[in-house]
Amino acid sequence: MVRIKINGRWRELDRDKDLAPAMTLSYLLKEVLGLTGIKVSCDEGACGACTVIMDGKAVLSCMMLALQADGHEITTIEGLAKDDPVVEAFAAQSEPGYGTALQCGYCTPGFVMTAKALLAENPVPTLGEVKEALSGNICRCGCYAAIAQAVLRTSEKVRAGGCR
Amino acid sequence: MRQPFKPRQSRKHIGGYRPRIDGLEKASGRALYADDVAIKANFPDLLYAKVLRSPHAHARIKRLDTARAEALPGVKAVLTYADPEVAALAPTSAGWTDGVDTVSFRRMMWRRFCDRRVLSDYVCWVGDEAGVVVAAETEAIAEEALRRLDVEWEVLPFVLDPAEAMMPGAPAVHPEIAPNNVLPADPVGGNDVYLSKGDFDRALAEAEVTAEATCAYHNANQSTLENWCCLAKWEEDRLFIWSNSYEADQTRMFVSQTLGLPLHKVRVVCNFVGGQFGRNDTGDQPLFIFTALLAKKAGRPVKFKHTRREAFHDSRQPAVYTARAGARKDGTITALGFKALGNAGAYADHTMFALKFAPAEAAEMAFAHIPNLKMEAYGVYTNKLPACMMRGVGNSQLNLSLGHIVDVLAEKLGMDPIDLAVKNFGHAWEILPDQSLSAVLREGARRIGWEQRHAPGTGPLREGVKKRGKGFSFHPGWHAEWQELRRGRIQVAMRLNPDGTVMLDAPTVETGPGSNTCNVLGCAEALGFLGITPAEIRWTSVVDTDKGLKDTVQTDSAVSFLQSEAMVDAAAELKKKVLEAAAAVLKAGPDDLDIEAGRIFPKAAPEQGVPFREVLWQGDLVPIAVTISRPPSGEKTGVPFLAAFAEVEVDVSTGKVVVEKLVILNDCGTVMYASGAEAQQLGGQVAGLGETLFEEIIYDQATGVPLNFNWIDYQVPTMADMPDIEPVLMEVWRGAGEYGACGIGESVLTCTPRAVLNAIYNAIGARIDDIPVKPEKVLKALAGNGR
Repeated sequence: MVRIKINGRWRELDRDKDLAPAMTLSYLLKEVLGLTGIKVSCDEGACGACTVIMDGKAVLSCMMLALQADGHEITTIEGLAKDDPVVEAFAAQSEPGYGTALQCGYCTPGFVMTAKALLAENPVPTLGEVKEALSGNICRCGCYAAIAQAVLRTSEKVRAGGCR
Repeated sequence: MRQPFKPRQSRKHIGGYRPRIDGLEKASGRALYADDVAIKANFPDLLYAKVLRSPHAHARIKRLDTARAEALPGVKAVLTYADPEVAALAPTSAGWTDGVDTVSFRRMMWRRFCDRRVLSDYVCWVGDEAGVVVAAETEAIAEEALRRLDVEWEVLPFVLDPAEAMMPGAPAVHPEIAPNNVLPADPVGGNDVYLSKGDFDRALAEAEVTAEATCAYHNANQSTLENWCCLAKWEEDRLFIWSNSYEADQTRMFVSQTLGLPLHKVRVVCNFVGGQFGRNDTGDQPLFIFTALLAKKAGRPVKFKHTRREAFHDSRQPAVYTARAGARKDGTITALGFKALGNAGAYADHTMFALKFAPAEAAEMAFAHIPNLKMEAYGVYTNKLPACMMRGVGNSQLNLSLGHIVDVLAEKLGMDPIDLAVKNFGHAWEILPDQSLSAVLREGARRIGWEQRHAPGTGPLREGVKKRGKGFSFHPGWHAEWQELRRGRIQVAMRLNPDGTVMLDAPTVETGPGSNTCNVLGCAEALGFLGITPAEIRWTSVVDTDKGLKDTVQTDSAVSFLQSEAMVDAAAELKKKVLEAAAAVLKAGPDDLDIEAGRIFPKAAPEQGVPFREVLWQGDLVPIAVTISRPPSGEKTGVPFLAAFAEVEVDVSTGKVVVEKLVILNDCGTVMYASGAEAQQLGGQVAGLGETLFEEIIYDQATGVPLNFNWIDYQVPTMADMPDIEPVLMEVWRGAGEYGACGIGESVLTCTPRAVLNAIYNAIGARIDDIPVKPEKVLKALAGNGR
C-alpha cells in the first residue's frame, strides 16, 4: 500500500492496481483521482503548469513518480481554502498599467501554487524575489506583470493582518 | 498605481478597469478545459489515441503490417490509410477558413491547395501525421502499439530551404499542386505580383533618393499552454465531440461535411481554451476526423491529445522580405515595393493569407497615398513544419520590412523617421497626415524620450562595454467592424428574468482575451435603461452547437466589440418587450410608457415611476427573451494605427541585447475593457520579444529533424526575461456603430521585433537583418561594421 496525504486526507493506493511504476504524480492526481485543477502542459518540467505543494515546497508533479509521494503531504489547488488570499488576488488583479493576472487561465493554478509556496517561505518578497521564484512557470498570454502585482498585493494584505 | 487610460467618452461599464468575470473560476482551478473533461473519471470506458509520426522529412509508406500492434493486450482499434472509411476521404486543406467564418467544403478558402489527406501514406516533414492511429486502454499501451508497427518506408529526397526548393531538380513536395514547389496564383491571394499601382519600376528609377533593405522573419511557434485535445463519442448515429477548438460551429461544419453526417447529427462542445494565438486558426483539423472514426471502430469514446512535442505542429509563416523605396528630397515617398519569399513548409494552409492577403490589406490601410506600389510574394513548399498564423497573419512579417525601409530611407534623407512616417502613410478614407498615426507616434516619442535620441552608434559607452539606442515601428490596425463582414451575421440572445437578472448568450469560445468580460460589460451598458450591474448578468460560457446560436469566433480580440455592437440592437428590442410586458401589468398602452435607470413611468408623468422588477414580478414570470442576428456594419471607416517604441542596451563585448523599456501604443477606437486591453498589450510582448530575442525552431540540416520541439530548448520568455513595459491605450480613430472599436489582440506585438531591431541599430550603428537577435549576430554585425 502507498499512503499519500492529499489535500488533508490520507489516501491508500494499491501499488499494483492503482499505480504503475512509471506513473507520474500529475497523472495520478489528474487522471486517476480527478483533481483537474492540475494542468499538464509540457509534461517534462519546463512550464510549471502542474505545480503542487509537497511538504510545503512547490514541486512539478509531472517530474515526480506517484510512488515518490508515498508518506508525503500533497496540496493541490483544490486543497486551498475557498477564500485563499492568493487565489483572490489573482482573480481581482486589474489595476491600471499591469493588465490582469490571468487570461486563458491554463497556467494559473500552477502560478498560484508556486506563489503559495513562495509566500509561505518568504511572506514579504521583493519584486526581484517574486520574479526569481516564479520564473519556472510559463504564461504565454504574458500576464507576468500582473501576476507579480497579485503576489505583492497578497503579501501586503497578509502583512496588514487582513487574512491568513 | 500607474496612470489610468482616460476614455474619450465616459460610460458606465464599457472602458473600465475591473476584474475579469472568469477570474475566480480560473484562479481557483475550477474552470474546465477539454483535457479536464475527457478523463476516465468522467468516461470510464475512455480509450486513448496516438498517431504515428513520420521519422523522415519526405517519405512514403511502402508496406505496413499492423498485426503485432493489434495483438498487444489493451489495443482496441487500429485505423490506417488503407481502411475504406479513411481512403474515401477527399484531399483537403487545413486552411478551409481562417476561422471567423463558417464555410462548406466547396466554399473553402484555399481550394487550389488541397494538399492534405487524413492519415496519409505520404509524409512531408519529420513529425507529420502518418497513416496509422491506434486506440488503447492507456496512453502507454497506445505508444507501445505504435512501436510495434512494421512500417517499410520509401525515403524520398527532401528540401528545407525555399530558395533551394525553387531550383530546377529540387524534390517536389506536392508535385500535383506545385511542380516547382512555388504555390500558384489563386483566387484569394492573387498573382505573384498581387498588388500593383502606378509604375513602380519607373518611379523608383526616377526617384531622387532610394533605399533597399532585406530582413528575415523566422517560424516561431504559438506555444499555447493547452495542447490540442479532442474527445469523440458516438451516441448511436450521432457524433459528440468535446474539444478545445476555438470555433465550435466551423468544427461541426467540417466534421459534418467530411464524414457526410447531417449537421444535427454532430454536436460540438468547446469550453474554455488554454490559449489560441493562431494555433487553431484552421477550419480543417484531421485529428477530429481520425478520432471520430477511431471511436466508431472501437465502439468506445476516444481521446486524442497532443503532447508538447506534437504541439509544434504549426508555426508563424516565415518570410524573407526585400523592400525598396524611392522618394523626393523633401521626404515624399513616390515608390514603395515589397517582395516576400515565404517558406510554406510541408502544407500550404494559410501561407498565402500571410504572404498576400494580409499585406494587401495593410497596403490599402497604410500605403493609399503612395502613387506607385508593387507587392509580390512567393510561397514555397519545403519539408519543414507547416507555417500558418500566429497572433496576426502576415502583419508582423510585413512590419519587420516596413519599419526597416522607413528607418533606412529616413537616414538617407536625413529626416526623423517619425516625420517620414507621418508625411506618407495613411488610408484612403483620410487626408494626410493621418490623425491616428500622428497620435500614436507623437505619444510614443514622448514616452520613450525620442528627442534625446542620438545618431546611430554615436551614443556614450556605458560601463566600458554597453551602448544604448531607441527605435520604433508602426502599422495599420485591422479587425475594424467593416473588415468583419465575412463572418456573416453575429448572433446574441438576452433573457431577462422576472427578478431583473439577465442570462446572456453571447456565444464565443473564451480563449483568453477577455471577450466574455467585454460581453457582460457591453450587455450592462446596452441595458442601461434597466439600471443593472455586470454582477446581475450571467454569461453562459460553454459553446455547444446543440444550443442554437452560432459562435462568434475569437480572432484578434474582435469579439470584444462585435457582439456588444449586436447587443445594442438586442437591448432596443428588449426594451420594447419590457414596456409591452409592463403595459399588460399596469393596464396601460406600451407607447405611453418609458423606462430609464430601472424605473418604468408614464411618459405623461415621469415622476410616477415604479421599479421594473416590481412590475415584472406581477406578470407571468416568463423570462423576456430576444435573439438578434445581424451582420457587422459595412460602413468603411478605415482603421486606427498602432506603434511600438523600444530602448535597448547592447553589450558590445558579448553581443547580449537587453530591452530596457518598451512602449506599446494602440489606438482602439473605443477601449471596451481597459484591464483586458492592457493585458493584451503587455502579454503580447511575451511572444513579441520572445520571437525577437530567444525563440527559434532549429533543424538538423542533414536529416530535416527539428531539434528543439520542447520548452527547454525553444525558449519562451519567463517573468525574469521581461522588461518594464508601458501599455498605452488611445482613442483617436473611430469606427462605425455605438462603440466603433477595433481588435488589438494580434496587433499588440506586430511592431515589437522591428522596434527592437531599429533600437539596436541606433545603439551600435550596425544592422542585424534577421530575428531572433542572438548575441553572435550582434558580434558579427559589429565586426562587419569595423567597430
